[in-house]
Amino acid sequence: MEKSNLNNLMKRIQRDRDEMAFSEIFDFFAPKINAYFIQNRIKIETSEELTQEVLSTIWIKSNLYDSKKSVLSTWVFTIARNKKIDFFRKNSKINFKEEDIREFLYQDREINLIEENEAKKQIDRINKQLDEQQKIMIKMNFFENKSHKKIADELEIPLGTVKSRIRHILMKMQEILE
Amino acid sequence: MNGTAVKNQLIFDFASGILGPAKSLFASTYLQLNSNASRISSTFEKMMGENLMDNENIHPKNLKYTDCMNIENGRSTSSIKDPVTCLFGNLNNLNWKQVYKGFKEYTASIDDKDELKLIKMDPGVSVPLHSHGGKEYILVLEGSFRDEHGYYSKGDIQINDQKVKHTPIASKDTGCVCLSITEKDVIFFGKYGSFLNLFTFIKSFFKQI
Repeated sequence: MEKSNLNNLMKRIQRDRDEMAFSEIFDFFAPKINAYFIQNRIKIETSEELTQEVLSTIWIKSNLYDSKKSVLSTWVFTIARNKKIDFFRKNSKINFKEEDIREFLYQDREINLIEENEAKKQIDRINKQLDEQQKIMIKMNFFENKSHKKIADELEIPLGTVKSRIRHILMKMQEILE
Repeated sequence: MNGTAVKNQLIFDFASGILGPAKSLFASTYLQLNSNASRISSTFEKMMGENLMDNENIHPKNLKYTDCMNIENGRSTSSIKDPVTCLFGNLNNLNWKQVYKGFKEYTASIDDKDELKLIKMDPGVSVPLHSHGGKEYILVLEGSFRDEHGYYSKGDIQINDQKVKHTPIASKDTGCVCLSITEKDVIFFGKYGSFLNLFTFIKSFFKQI
């Protein structure tokens, strides 16, 4: 689906609480978000619960999304990521004496349109410089949060090669991001 | 890896959501004080958003869009809060522990393998030459300090690994307050080195029992 189309759907949800628009947002994002949780090694039953929470957040907090400040996919990603963090924290052996540290960790930062355009240019440059395998590695490392060992196993290349390639990718990204 | 690479790694790991609680708090404070770090984090999140757009589809079997329209979930928080204030309260009212004259610290009660501390150095005070067993991350919250490697003021971060030996000195005018993460205890050198090492050893011994 086109990004502009998704934005129109969001506008209809924000303005009219349009349920059909939400069903289209659901159809587009739910399978991708569900896949994200499964890729992050969350069991299928749980991944569907978390997907439900993410989509509910999109519906309930739709007014917090501002298309002038960020792209919809970024906003949705941050919601899904925060659900993932919550889930792993609740299930870790670590005790939290603070009631909820997470709540104030990931707050919406103000981003202006100039930065947004600048970011887009930088990402285009990064994408141009990376070949297909490098893009896959970035995704496996940071989106799916797989260890270097796991990446090596899945791509069937030596661990040392994975480490050096990821280091190389990070250096390239750094040059562009600075 | 050089310093910038380690900083970026911290930002990327934070944006990916894989840091433990201590490092998460540290990183979020860093992003709040440092606009460049915040910008890099936003760009990285945007990249991850694009990965989501292009992600494969695994259709949920037992979920319909109507299931997502009637559950209440959570409060809506949009006001900006300061992580350090939330965790520590007013820094002036803290029960600081003096390590030696002019150098105080306060350790956060977070259950994590990494230790999160506030460090307060009076104006002109220096830390004896030391290196680190694991990595040490230092973020300047107030004032500034300098050492053999450079000058660090509010929002600047310094990351030291085992190889780095340094002697930080707090600014003569302002002193400094820093947030720090230590992965393992530091190793001291020089005149008081052996004494301080003994002290850290004894401290770690008591921590175990």
